[in-house]
Amino acid sequence: MSEITSAEYKKVAGHSIADPVLQSALESLQSRLGPATQNLYQNLPEGQELRKTAHGYRRKAIDNLDILLETLADNVHKNGGQVHFAATDEDAVDICLAIARTHNVKKVVKGKSMVTEEIGLNHALEEAGIDVAETDLGEFIIQLAGEKPTHIVAPAIHKTRQQIGRLFSEKLGTPYTEDPPTLTFDARKALRQKFFTADMGISGCNLACAETGHITTVSNEGNIRMSTTLPKVHVAFMGMERIVANLEEQQSLLRLMSMGAAGQQIGGYVSYIGGPAAEDHCDGPEAFHLIIVDNGRSKILADEEFREMLCCIRCGACLNVCPVYGKIGGHAYGSAYTGPVGAVVTPLLFGVNNAADLCTGETLCGACRQACPLEINLPRMLLALRAKLSEGDPKWEVQPKGKFEKLMFEAWQKIIQRRKVYNGFLKIGYVLQKILPGQDGMIRRLPFPFNGWTNKRNLKPLAAKTFMQRWKDRAGGKP
Amino acid sequence: MQKKDKVTLFVQCIVDTMYPEVAESMVDVLEGLGLDVDCPTEQTCCGQPAFNSGHQKVARAAAEKFITLFENSQTIVSPSGSCVNMVRNHYQDLFKDEPAMLARVKAIGERTFEFTEYIVDVLGVEDVGARFNGKVTYHASCHLNRFLDIDRQPRALLANISDMKLVEMKDADKCCGFGGTFAVKYSEISEALVEDKVNNIIASGADVVAGCDMGCLMNIEGMLSRKKSPVKVMHIAQLLAGKSYE
Amino acid sequence: MLGRTEFIQTISKALGRGAANPADTDIFTTSASPDQEAVLARIKTRSPAERKQLRGIIEQVAGPLHIDFHPEDNLQDIAGSIGRLIRDKDPEWGTEKSVVRWDHPLLSRLNLESLLELDGVPLHTTDSEAIDNATKVSATEQQVTVREKVEASFIGITSADYLVAATATLAMRSRPGHARSVSLVPAIHIVVVEEEKLLANLEELYTLLKWDPKEQALGLTNCLSLVSGPSKTGDIELIMVHGAHGPRELHLFIVAGKGE
Repeated sequence: MSEITSAEYKKVAGHSIADPVLQSALESLQSRLGPATQNLYQNLPEGQELRKTAHGYRRKAIDNLDILLETLADNVHKNGGQVHFAATDEDAVDICLAIARTHNVKKVVKGKSMVTEEIGLNHALEEAGIDVAETDLGEFIIQLAGEKPTHIVAPAIHKTRQQIGRLFSEKLGTPYTEDPPTLTFDARKALRQKFFTADMGISGCNLACAETGHITTVSNEGNIRMSTTLPKVHVAFMGMERIVANLEEQQSLLRLMSMGAAGQQIGGYVSYIGGPAAEDHCDGPEAFHLIIVDNGRSKILADEEFREMLCCIRCGACLNVCPVYGKIGGHAYGSAYTGPVGAVVTPLLFGVNNAADLCTGETLCGACRQACPLEINLPRMLLALRAKLSEGDPKWEVQPKGKFEKLMFEAWQKIIQRRKVYNGFLKIGYVLQKILPGQDGMIRRLPFPFNGWTNKRNLKPLAAKTFMQRWKDRAGGKP
Repeated sequence: MQKKDKVTLFVQCIVDTMYPEVAESMVDVLEGLGLDVDCPTEQTCCGQPAFNSGHQKVARAAAEKFITLFENSQTIVSPSGSCVNMVRNHYQDLFKDEPAMLARVKAIGERTFEFTEYIVDVLGVEDVGARFNGKVTYHASCHLNRFLDIDRQPRALLANISDMKLVEMKDADKCCGFGGTFAVKYSEISEALVEDKVNNIIASGADVVAGCDMGCLMNIEGMLSRKKSPVKVMHIAQLLAGKSYE
Repeated sequence: MLGRTEFIQTISKALGRGAANPADTDIFTTSASPDQEAVLARIKTRSPAERKQLRGIIEQVAGPLHIDFHPEDNLQDIAGSIGRLIRDKDPEWGTEKSVVRWDHPLLSRLNLESLLELDGVPLHTTDSEAIDNATKVSATEQQVTVREKVEASFIGITSADYLVAATATLAMRSRPGHARSVSLVPAIHIVVVEEEKLLANLEELYTLLKWDPKEQALGLTNCLSLVSGPSKTGDIELIMVHGAHGPRELHLFIVAGKGE
């Protein structure tokens, strides 16, 4: 399993906020993609209802996942492909390594796939002496730089053209340029040889179609078509939930996914791949392997509170509107899954305590739900995760966290339970606040544990008389 | 004489303790509309801060207190979208496994309204006859806008205030970064967000930023004050009560 | 390592399968809905004038998608225009020009081989006939040859099964003679389709693929590619650049009527 670094959330978030390059990249990303997606939703020929209908399609697929996966596997077999089932990340990696050994694979080209990041596939292939090339331009840049992606759809958004220019001239030996078309051409040239000489192409799967037995891949660059057409072996990885029953449902979902991901009506390249090339076809891979990965998903499936999360199609629309993501970028989340989707998926897949800050580090503003093509209720699930962290949960192996905070809230509850006690508390507060440093009638510095508020903000002090007191005075004064 | 409709005030704790004048303005507006206003003075807090931080037992205790206090009120009106969201939506999450309680909180949720929602949707009034001399920009609070779907109502009320110039700020519906305890626990992120918000408010050229939730406005005011900005925060009730500033 | 049975059992257990919680029975659609029948009927009864309208829509959406839509609509003019593209465009790698096309009846009727503009530029065909004659060339050898031709070419010429007007989406299924790489590897992709292959929107395409008996017989094949415009990327500072890995240019020709 690839390691997650979500415990560093606050620290990395701080660095990100202080990084002006990242801040302007995030601003640019959100100001373009967020509104573009909303605009497409507003103009759906089927109307806004389509999003609810599509949520229903996904929900039905998840509720019948056993049947759909059986059907998919049978149909892929019929089409001449092989299907493998991986219960864990290790299983998934081992299956892929065994396929690579069988075909004597030395070089791999990869299309972007979140699940392979989740299971740490690249590292395992490299350990086995196999050359792995990420071929999505953003992923390629990240791989050359030895970094992690910051965005599901635009992984290298945090790097400037100048940084990429220097990186390419250092690693590819190309003359320095900061012209994006030239840089793109340099990458095209470097990767072309990789495509032509690779023995294995690895892809993810955006959404499989059970009734036809096809996986689908979506890209705009054409790198996934290259990876799945030119090498003699194609291995596709699929999170077990990425499936839908039939073609008509898939049509709606792929369109919604394209809107969420890139503000497009439909992705530039959508491929339905159902098996190896037929004997009489003049190109395409000789072998097709589909690896279906569980790796903690069945646990999510079993919990009604979080099952909705499996409806997610990883379009990244929530990243393009989340105010917190817009400030801290992807690295702070410490896993392949970033932004609001990562804040729910990472704790569920990698352990709630390991990613506690991801559960609590949001404002619950609801922009993610509004942007989600399927209106998945991420804020609801964040609240559910927070409840688990407060109380602990044996089923999810959650240890209670933040005991001090809990004690504070329990004390607070005793105070608010009776107005008299509350009034007494407020009176003490009213007196004590006078010793705090002030500015223009506001409090300028609060003591621990509230000091975070006053680093850059003041606070309105408590009023001399609460409204309730004023109301009583007024009522008392009434004739 | 016709008997007046009765409304019961459910006052956000921040308003009660820090901005009591907001609730007074709300009373003025409601009474001006011919309503009989009532206020249970035993009320304290709806439990939202605890709920949002995951402390559901604490939140349940607060919810039970709220239910006891307000169960006999026919119409409950609050100056905070966030608190109404708590009562209308999240109380149901808290009691989802207890059918009897669930029915009670559902019923109470249906009778609980946000201030502008009540005036526009229930009373059918969009012009309360207020006057305000100044330039105002509106901050659309998240819980109000996205979870209660209330945006048209406050904007309609603002549009009908005489002499007032309404200017739109950039990203009016973007979160101000408050998020309850988030603002303290993740203060760096929260500051970055409220900084953007405050910059957008200042860039709009408004004298006043108005909203329907003092949680957000307290956060915004905190940074405006630190920056020594002359821009004031006002709850929409204060504008509707016709209380011109300065 | 778990096998398929255990894997699926884990899922069934997570779903709480049992007598009280069986799978839904209406997961798969077995007959077209009235709405879908109506879509099929609409496609079948579409008049030439309506097809012309679809052509107009494509002309509109092509620009924003960076597709070069060419106005020529008869075989001779189209062939001439393709000839000029071959003559005027520069090869992406090196200086030698070479062109590759599908083995497709419409493309054969263009008679590109006789174009004067070719001027010695080799025009390869990814033909299917070679393997029919199994004694001469094995499938593998043929694939090697096709690959060499495609890699060497700067222009790839294909047709398409369908062309969806609303999104300018080409639908191409893999078949003998229709190499997938022709629309992918060369820097310039030229597409020639008959007007009768035009559909209004993606819903029509999916409905046809799913419910039309002829389409059902063929199925999606091992690879159905939907292509809406040339290759593009925004991965460097969100600046749109065409030609990331697939073709930089996509030229589209629509033949009026059936192109006879």
